Amino acid sequence: MKLLAKYNRVNIPITIAILLFSSLGYYFILHYVLVHQLDKDLEIEKQEILHQVKESNALPETSDYKDQQIKFTVSKVGNFKSNFQTEDVYNIIEKEGESYRRLDFPLTVNGNNFVATVRKSQQETEDIVQLILLITFSVIAFLLVILFIANRVLLGKLWKPFNNTLDQLTQFNLSGKNRIELEPTDIDEFAELNKTVIIMTKKVSNDYESLKTFTENASHEIQTPLAIIKSKIELLSQSENLDEVQMNILQSLNEATTRLSRLNQSLLLLTKIENAQFVQTEHVNISSLILKYIEFFEELAATKNITITRNIEAEQFAEMNETLAETLVSNIIINAIKHNISGGHIEISLEGKLLTVSNTGSEPKRPTLEFFERFKKDAASGDSLGLGLSIVKKICENYGFSVFYKYIDEKHVVMVRFIPGLIN
Amino acid sequence: MKILIIEDEIALCESMSTYLITQDYSCDIATDFAAALNKTEYNDYDCILLDITLPGGNGLKILEHLKEDKKTDGILIISAKNSLDDKIEGLNLGADDYLSKPFHLSELNARIGAIIRRKNFEGNNLIEFKNLIIDTRSKVATVNKSPLELTKKEYELLLYFVANKKRLISKDAIAEHLWGNDIGGNFDFIYTHIKNLRKKLMDAGDADYIKSVYGMGYKFTDQ
Repeated sequence: MKLLAKYNRVNIPITIAILLFSSLGYYFILHYVLVHQLDKDLEIEKQEILHQVKESNALPETSDYKDQQIKFTVSKVGNFKSNFQTEDVYNIIEKEGESYRRLDFPLTVNGNNFVATVRKSQQETEDIVQLILLITFSVIAFLLVILFIANRVLLGKLWKPFNNTLDQLTQFNLSGKNRIELEPTDIDEFAELNKTVIIMTKKVSNDYESLKTFTENASHEIQTPLAIIKSKIELLSQSENLDEVQMNILQSLNEATTRLSRLNQSLLLLTKIENAQFVQTEHVNISSLILKYIEFFEELAATKNITITRNIEAEQFAEMNETLAETLVSNIIINAIKHNISGGHIEISLEGKLLTVSNTGSEPKRPTLEFFERFKKDAASGDSLGLGLSIVKKICENYGFSVFYKYIDEKHVVMVRFIPGLIN
Repeated sequence: MKILIIEDEIALCESMSTYLITQDYSCDIATDFAAALNKTEYNDYDCILLDITLPGGNGLKILEHLKEDKKTDGILIISAKNSLDDKIEGLNLGADDYLSKPFHLSELNARIGAIIRRKNFEGNNLIEFKNLIIDTRSKVATVNKSPLELTKKEYELLLYFVANKKRLISKDAIAEHLWGNDIGGNFDFIYTHIKNLRKKLMDAGDADYIKSVYGMGYKFTDQ
């Protein structure tokens, strides 16, 4: 959820509630004040009537105007407390209920007791209250709209440095040479953020650089002792007077060393691809590259009586590093030969940018997707490192190519599409 | 044939020189940058084995000096860095070949042989072993003057054997020489190549020179 949305989720209901409560209070206060005003008018009318009675000693005339009515009724009770009340009267002409404020008070004229009733229409008061409420609600609505727009515009502007920083971070690429360049901002929080971002990316870049150097150095440090071990084994095995037992020991040593050095080289390659150290991309002719490797490995396939059929569309190109392209193609073809059966078959086709290599072979014992993970291999292929397909996948990931491996109709099928996107 | 080994790991220097001396080369050793520069300046070698990471300086600098002095020594770069940049830079600077550590001594020997043959344009392209003659220019092998019908890999295998004659070559050295670094596994397929090559040599009337040495590898020898 966006910060603005989260903020509004709290802010808007509270604003509306406060505005509603205050307008409710406003309504009651206004109503009270206006009714109070009306009561004062009625009181003045009462004083006028009392004054008139005192002067003339006769009952004043009744009146029945729309906004003020005065009437007198005979009463048995001579003295009671005058009281105000509100009453609703149905107006026959206007066909609607009208509310009135009335004042009843005792009146004695020539010894006769009367109840004097002065009634004033409350309609105008109501109208004023309604008008005032309408204005209040309009103001609320207007305020909300203004608030909404202001939030949008103002917050968008306020967050601009933050969004800019975020964009730069998204595009930040360790192996690329581009440095983060942040716009200066006068907002303290964002300035603080930018400062931290610059310090962190600098640190990350430095760490990455030292990691790269470390990887190189580690490989150097490991390869050199390996080279010494390997050469010493080779020299020792040249001795004339070795018996079979000693030779077998040397053989085991040699195999282990070879394995170790291949492992080191493969992991180094994976690390290098992961660290995107193969920055240079070329316009690689994959058609001729694939044909070259088919030809290169044909004799190897022949040792297992494996036949290779090919259907390679000419002049297809891929934008990638040439060394990685070679590694990718040779790994896939070697896999198809190694995990094949004697007298088996391999079909290699390139249609457009889609390379499909399918080969006969025993059914894999685990889900085919797992073979893309490092060191996952079939129990049957004990001598394999289990890194071939991981390398293939890593290279594809590096360029956004999709890669696919499945066992269909008793055949292992590997597909690689040499353009970014999915295989459909 | 004189070879200079520029390498700071003494143990590796010893291995290389021991192997190369059995192949009738004479070896000189330099273990740091200054010694290497000194030796290359005052001597001519048929081939120089050059390690890039040296105490006292970058091996590529020596390469630059050699090219400035217009020296024609063959140069084989040996690097543990296995870094593509070094390889490309080295070859661009005029190195003849590149070998990354760890390597097989038999592979090193075969590469040196190839560099020296390439340098001697007027010289002999013929490698002989008893009745067998390999012409490295036309890539044809003959036994008693009748040419052998070899596949590409069989030819490479035969050349590799003859270049390392009387030495034991391990199966993984053969596999990597023929199929490159990506090849792994149990190398049983080597047996098929050996069998085919042996049959072709014997059909042509040659003796069976290829001896299997326990499970370790093969030796090309007339003894």
